[in-house]
Amino acid sequence: MNTSFLLRRLGYGLLLMLGVVVLNFLLIRLAPGDPALVIAGEMGGATQEMLDSIREEYGLNKPVAVQLLLYIGNVLQGDLGESFFFNQPVSSLIAQRVLPTILLVITAQVLSIVIGVVLGVLAARKPNGVMSAFVSVFATIGYAVPVFWTGIMLVILFASIFPIFPVEGMQSVKLRDASGLVKALDILHHLVLPAFTLAVIYLAQYARLSRASMLEVLGSDYIRTARAKGASPRSVLFKHALRNAALPILTVAGLQFGNLISGALLVETVFNWPGMGRLAFESILRRDYPTIMGVLFFASGMVVVANILTDMSYRLADPRLRGKG
Amino acid sequence: MNSLLEIEDLRVTFNTRYGEVTALDSVSLHVKEGETLGVVGESGCGKSITALSVMGLIPTPPGRIAEGAIRLNGEDLTQASEKRMQALRGGEMAMIFQEPMTSLNPVFTVGDQIAEAIMLHQKVDAAQARRDAVALLDRVGIPSPDVRAGDFPHQLSGGMRQRVMIAMAVSCRPKVLIADEPTTALDVTVQAQIFDLLNEIQREFGSAIILITHDMGAISEMADRVAVMYAGRVIEEARADDVLDYPQHPYARGLISCIPALGKDAGGAGDMLAEIPGVVPPLHKLGAGCAFADRCAHQAPRCAVDKPLLAAHGHHPVACHGVEEGWL
Ligand SMILES: Nc1ncnc2c1ncn2[C@@H]1O[C@H](COP(=O)(O)OP(=O)(O)OP(=O)(O)O)[C@@H](O)[C@H]1O
Ligand code: SF4
Ligand SMILES: [Mg+2]
Repeated sequence: MNTSFLLRRLGYGLLLMLGVVVLNFLLIRLAPGDPALVIAGEMGGATQEMLDSIREEYGLNKPVAVQLLLYIGNVLQGDLGESFFFNQPVSSLIAQRVLPTILLVITAQVLSIVIGVVLGVLAARKPNGVMSAFVSVFATIGYAVPVFWTGIMLVILFASIFPIFPVEGMQSVKLRDASGLVKALDILHHLVLPAFTLAVIYLAQYARLSRASMLEVLGSDYIRTARAKGASPRSVLFKHALRNAALPILTVAGLQFGNLISGALLVETVFNWPGMGRLAFESILRRDYPTIMGVLFFASGMVVVANILTDMSYRLADPRLRGKG
Repeated sequence: MNSLLEIEDLRVTFNTRYGEVTALDSVSLHVKEGETLGVVGESGCGKSITALSVMGLIPTPPGRIAEGAIRLNGEDLTQASEKRMQALRGGEMAMIFQEPMTSLNPVFTVGDQIAEAIMLHQKVDAAQARRDAVALLDRVGIPSPDVRAGDFPHQLSGGMRQRVMIAMAVSCRPKVLIADEPTTALDVTVQAQIFDLLNEIQREFGSAIILITHDMGAISEMADRVAVMYAGRVIEEARADDVLDYPQHPYARGLISCIPALGKDAGGAGDMLAEIPGVVPPLHKLGAGCAFADRCAHQAPRCAVDKPLLAAHGHHPVACHGVEEGWL
């Protein structure tokens, strides 16, 4: 892996994030609704003086271009502004919520890839078998069903019918002060439903993709070679074939990361998961511009990082790409 | 001496959209230790399917061995378990394929791929297998083998990759080595080098070689005996010199007359196909008579209804009514 490739990718990533900042800013300013009114509403009244002072305080009365430049300048210094609503720096709001989101997103990503790929490989082993048909149907349903529907169905199922998994929050109230293993297990217990909900759509896509990718690879000459040298069916499937079939899966995993983060917004809302997604959702309702922009900015940063990591692992996984720019 | 490998009345069928077709019919072949059997015939006549049947690598479904036996040292491979076949493949018998560019796994180094073959069949540790792999690369004529062992297939030329395939195939000193058009994808000088290498390896290991090829020049240099195949059957079989000098079957005659000057620059598949007018009938259209009848200048009424069987007539076994009845 060469450094110039990495530097170039980082450069693109930074440009992309700058674009995101500008775009977010403009989109949100273009949306209808006056944030000063909202803030005033939260404060319990909206006299003209209050509105004026709010606008003054948050810089809302300056021309949009000036606001944008100020914002970019601040972002460059790591300052994402003050939340209209919480009266706290957005960066510390995000810092409180970033770990739950990362935990949720990464768990869902790992779950969907692992289960999806295993299903896909099993399906590819017998293209006309039951498993194969199951994967096709499952993938179609997975595409069609919106994530919040799955979430709400699971909430209903586990809240009233099989109350074995908590459907709300990240920690039990009575274990609030627990620490160590008890705390970890409690969080894990709460993680099951949201992570599964988020995983399920992508899982179906991975299953379908890895089925197709495996089928293609299994027909190739080097698989015949592997069999001709006496490799066992398992080694042929999981070593010789999967290593090659994993390449397109890896690409999609990188691309899906952005979708996963936006999916987390819905899942966190449904399950009341204390992450960035729920923060974004609530901030949108409150027209808390700095928070919305901060969350979007941070999320796009995560996507950029994920894409760079994907590119790097893709290069590691495919020797034909190593050393190329 | 008894044959090392014996194929007896092999019939292989495929399920296709035309129903079940017979890709190989009554194929009988044998090869002794240290002997080279050449298998020739036009594209689609069943050469590769014969080889894959021996290796137990017929894609199933749609294919299956419907009848016959394949005996390696007396053991019938058509009855062997998958586990047993795994032990034999790459161990007692090995195969080199036509496509060196795509036959190696792109994500593993060539050294690892050879070492894997060694470790599958010999009780050696990874380090020893690695050393053996380097030694094999050296043996097949790859310069600086210790460096090349760390290369990925895409870093090697076609000829080098085929050498790697050969190194891998012979890594466990197979008793039977099947080379399915090992040089088709390579240029002429490299072809000659690969054949030299196969000869040396045969001398060294005493392997029986089944050489599948379109190249009659290679046959005259390499093969002790030749089987000519047509539409899934062996239609003539004899010592290489006999087939080359006194071909009997009209198809074999056509095949051999296409060679401008034997042993020199024998034409590739393209030239030789051009010389015999017509094409091989598709498997689902094979009728009751001689499969070559449509293209045969000597066709008689009997040829359309009665399938000629391989039987010794004069020189050597031929499947042709004309040869059998002496009017040809
Ligand atoms: N998977 C398959 N399904 C159906 N028919 C098949 C299949 N594989 C091979 N055949 C048929 O078997 C016949 C023999 O094929 P084979 O590959 O042995 O030919 P070949 O003599 O090796 O030709 P070539 O010189 O082109 O390699 C062909 O007519 C082909 O149509
Ligand atoms: S059997 Fe008849 S048709 Fe067939 S090759 Fe002989 S003479 Fe020709
Ligand atoms: Mg072939």
